[in-house]
Amino acid sequence: VSAVLGVSCFFHDAAAALTLDGVVVAAAEEERFSRRKHDARLPRRAIRYCLESAGLEGGGVDYVVFYEKPLRKLRRVVATLAATAPRSSAAFAAAARAWRDERLWIRASLAEAAGVPAERVLFVDHHTSHAASTFLASPFEEAAVLTVDGVGEWSTTTIAAASGTFDGIGDTTIRLLRSQSFPHSLGLFYSAFTAYLGFEVNDGEYKVMGMAAYGAPRFEEAVRRTLRGYDDGSFWLDLDYFAFHHSLSDSFAPALEELLGELARDPSEPFATRSADPDAPGELVRRGEFYADVAASVQKVTEDTVVALAHEAHRLTGSRNLCLAGGVALNGLANARALRETPFERIFIPPAPGDAGGAIGAALYVEHVLLGRPRSYVMRHAYLGKSWSTDEIRVALDGASASYRIIDDEERLCETLAGELERGRVVGWFQGRSEWGPRALGNRSILADPRDRAMTRRINEKIKYREPFRPFAPAILERDVASYVDGMEAAQLPARFMLLVLPLAESRREQIPAVDHFGTARLQSVTPDANPRFYRLLESFERRTDVPVLLNTSFNLRGEPIVNSPSDALSTFARSDLDLLVLGPCVVSR
Amino acid sequence: MARPALLSRLVYFLIVTPAGLASRLVTDPLHRHAPASSNWIVAGSSPPPDGARLRQPW
Repeated sequence: VSAVLGVSCFFHDAAAALTLDGVVVAAAEEERFSRRKHDARLPRRAIRYCLESAGLEGGGVDYVVFYEKPLRKLRRVVATLAATAPRSSAAFAAAARAWRDERLWIRASLAEAAGVPAERVLFVDHHTSHAASTFLASPFEEAAVLTVDGVGEWSTTTIAAASGTFDGIGDTTIRLLRSQSFPHSLGLFYSAFTAYLGFEVNDGEYKVMGMAAYGAPRFEEAVRRTLRGYDDGSFWLDLDYFAFHHSLSDSFAPALEELLGELARDPSEPFATRSADPDAPGELVRRGEFYADVAASVQKVTEDTVVALAHEAHRLTGSRNLCLAGGVALNGLANARALRETPFERIFIPPAPGDAGGAIGAALYVEHVLLGRPRSYVMRHAYLGKSWSTDEIRVALDGASASYRIIDDEERLCETLAGELERGRVVGWFQGRSEWGPRALGNRSILADPRDRAMTRRINEKIKYREPFRPFAPAILERDVASYVDGMEAAQLPARFMLLVLPLAESRREQIPAVDHFGTARLQSVTPDANPRFYRLLESFERRTDVPVLLNTSFNLRGEPIVNSPSDALSTFARSDLDLLVLGPCVVSR
Repeated sequence: MARPALLSRLVYFLIVTPAGLASRLVTDPLHRHAPASSNWIVAGSSPPPDGARLRQPW
């Protein structure tokens, strides 16, 4: 058996992944274990989990692969800071510290963490890791691969042509066709506006997407002065409006505030619009609508740019299949448009298209491209994290003196829960292995009845303690998805991972208002093969309500990683207004 | 800790800053000026370097 451990870290969302003969058998982000959101440190805990899950502690893996080339990245950092001197002195000092203390010793650190000699540590460049993370996990034997992210070594955007059969005939290749270099980056453009809109970079990008739906793109022209798009899909950033190329703390320059005519949003300022908060003070509403319009404009320019990039990827490759990766591929609206508005017929996006996913990509690249082993793996589900047995769950419950009952019969468990959900109870649902990637897909989820319009505000304010404008996603039985949204045939796997925002059928909007975000939904399609227990729960809920849909949001509180262990779940349960907690077969009530 | 911080300042102001200023006189390393029609870098094929597929530079 060939065992390859992939690792990503030192930027954000550190992660580890293990492949055995090219099959991903374990993958997890470090934050789930360390409980530090977006933890970027060397993922020692995630590495230990991956190795333990396959009994490979103590040097059992053949190779450890890092998801980028540190020295190339260092050259870019130094060249960029030199090019922006003397404004970059603070950034240089911080970078010098980080490289001196940690990053330059990555080979030795990885060798020590995995228990292998240093010569078994390999390096794959950042965008190749991204491209491999999507193509080599896809069901396609050839595809155009579009990677759009912040930055790796130098590249920020790449188009590649990939091929590799499942019958082992011929080489598996990922051939780079086009690239764009730092600082001209769609990911960093979006992050700069995320900061302008008062959210944390590398965390609040989803909030910009959610906020955009409340506005109209009336600042599109102004935003296009900061990002110039070309007919061939490439683009250029006017650096006068940005600061990320010379600063670690600032993403945008004061010129951006002058361009838009308003200072950046204060993160502590409540967000209000006329439609959502009719009673809010007028000035607050005016400002809220201004920022929503900026968000809508940024979202529109981003989507248009992704569509143009996808057109170019199609023109260059002629493929019918599109694989997306990079942090920008978490933008479900852009993904859906890239499929709908280009000649591509099918799309694949892995559940962790961002930097964490580079860990899987680097491992699969070594396995199939460098070692030349044939492909056999398609990522059909995202349940690659740690699981806990019923005995371990009971130990945690008894240790916390929780009162619970065990329902061993799955049918009865699902029927009982469906009844509670129908009665309006909000349930913490903890089952099996945790999800790979930022979305909770029915194993570490908070579930509720999507028919109740008031559920959105209740969960945002009383349970997750987050902004009231944040939308919720519907989990839908796969067999019924086509009757709720359009465009599913081409996107079956990405829809399992909540990576597409699609228009809700008009006739369904009144039925499930709690997951209707201005006529769209970032749905999860639930299949019996990928998650049988969650599928059964949805079936039970449908039997009672005629609605094969549940509101599904991640099981965490604002600012915290998604729960990983039974103790995390119990702690979250204790600090929120969740009505019920289900851990495996154990039903915990207050 | 004071010594490494001083060293990094010295490196920055004595080496990095002059090198950066000099490079800006002759090149546009960050492509501050908008290209006329495209910002793509066209790549050739990328074969594994010198046959040593697993010993690629880091």
